[in-house]
Amino acid sequence: MKSRVLVVTSGKGGVGKTTTTANLGTALAMMGKKVVLLDTDIGLRNLDVVMGLENRIVFDIVDVVNAKCKLKQALIRDKRFDGLCLLPAAQTKDKSAVTPHQMKNLTNELRSDYDYILVDCPAGIEQGFRNAIAGADNAIVVATPEVSSVRDADRIVGLLEAAGLNKSRLIINRLRSKMVKRGDMMNIEDIIDILSIDLLGVVPEDEVIVISTNRGEPAVMDNTSRAGAAYRRIARRITGEDVPMFTLDDTNNFLDRFKKLLKLAK
Amino acid sequence: MAAVIKSKEGKMEINMQSCNTFAEMKDQLNAQLKSVGDFWLGGTVSIDTGYQVLSNKQLEEIQSILSRHGLNLQSNNSIVSKELTDSDNEISPFEQLPFYEDTMLICKSLRSGQRIVAEGNVVILGDVNPGAEIIAGGNIIIMGSLRGMVHAGAYGDDTALVSAYRLNPTQLRIGSHITRSPDGELIMIECPELARIRGGKVCIEKLKI
Repeated sequence: MKSRVLVVTSGKGGVGKTTTTANLGTALAMMGKKVVLLDTDIGLRNLDVVMGLENRIVFDIVDVVNAKCKLKQALIRDKRFDGLCLLPAAQTKDKSAVTPHQMKNLTNELRSDYDYILVDCPAGIEQGFRNAIAGADNAIVVATPEVSSVRDADRIVGLLEAAGLNKSRLIINRLRSKMVKRGDMMNIEDIIDILSIDLLGVVPEDEVIVISTNRGEPAVMDNTSRAGAAYRRIARRITGEDVPMFTLDDTNNFLDRFKKLLKLAK
Repeated sequence: MAAVIKSKEGKMEINMQSCNTFAEMKDQLNAQLKSVGDFWLGGTVSIDTGYQVLSNKQLEEIQSILSRHGLNLQSNNSIVSKELTDSDNEISPFEQLPFYEDTMLICKSLRSGQRIVAEGNVVILGDVNPGAEIIAGGNIIIMGSLRGMVHAGAYGDDTALVSAYRLNPTQLRIGSHITRSPDGELIMIECPELARIRGGKVCIEKLKI
């Protein structure tokens, strides 16, 4: 299989890039794929924490590009899944420690051993962003249903297009279906109308994410998590499977289904 | 075809209906005036531009060419202005468009942070998203949703217009006028609209073609 480099980006901070990277990477690894997660948020690394691998870091991405260690030495194998690895960012340097050219070489080196290389992009549009997208084949844009997030995502899609990444796909994160139904939150159609890129998936708001992030266990490992289930479906879509989209009527409540049957509910 | 000069009640009238562009118009005018020499020196001239309506800036240019030959511009007749005075019939706003030589055609959507600056008109085949900007010396036509900021007639032409398939700009500027959408509830109008200055104010109206 030809390996793919996917950059997870958003422009705005705090919309769930790192959570998305961790969960999609884990979900792909659960499907038996060989995955490496690449944290490019140098100076503000988080992906290792979310993956629960912080205490195993010896070398980082800056050591690799400066040839202080071999790439294989810096990669942290996740013992929970075969074929899941993390290349952590450095915490004591800043974004200028790596150049886009070095990133491109690094991702190309990883291509031979892995099916999916997921790059966790830092917030912003400066050098960290340019580094992260340098070696990418495609981008996954994460946006929450907020005007500010969609605005930044639009900017990012424009910059990605300018960099030659034309087939970006969108993940709408932290959607609250009840608020959308009340008309208090942007709905999926509004967001797609503005961004005009393909929708890869919708992840509902879920408290389990907070718990799993603190524990260092991605939510996809939790079978009761709705967000985890959404990420598993997105991972299947990434591999090319045709999985139906999440809809607003995601309740499995008996009364709701009964109402729907009688067409009492919308 | 050349511009035609003829005398009418002792005044000079120049017919430039056959000219397709403003540059052609200027060339023709220069050539014709050179050929007449100083026969009309000190006289007044009226020009007939047919369907082309000239902007103030262009009229100034015409005037400067004429004054180089010792002539004054008396009036600028165009079919459009004749029709306007002849009847009160509603005519398509596009026939009153100020005339600009260059038109920039952009066949994609403009996203946040992208900016287009053009001397003449701008036509967008796509949307203009919030955070995107268009600055045009002439008119701006958007074959999609306008959600960003546009400035038509940016070099001082208050006759320029902005038209969009869906007109919801964050801010709309025409010439020296600046407007924005009213505060409060967002009103969605599901038809193409047109903005231009009428009576010193920016007016938004339904687009009738």
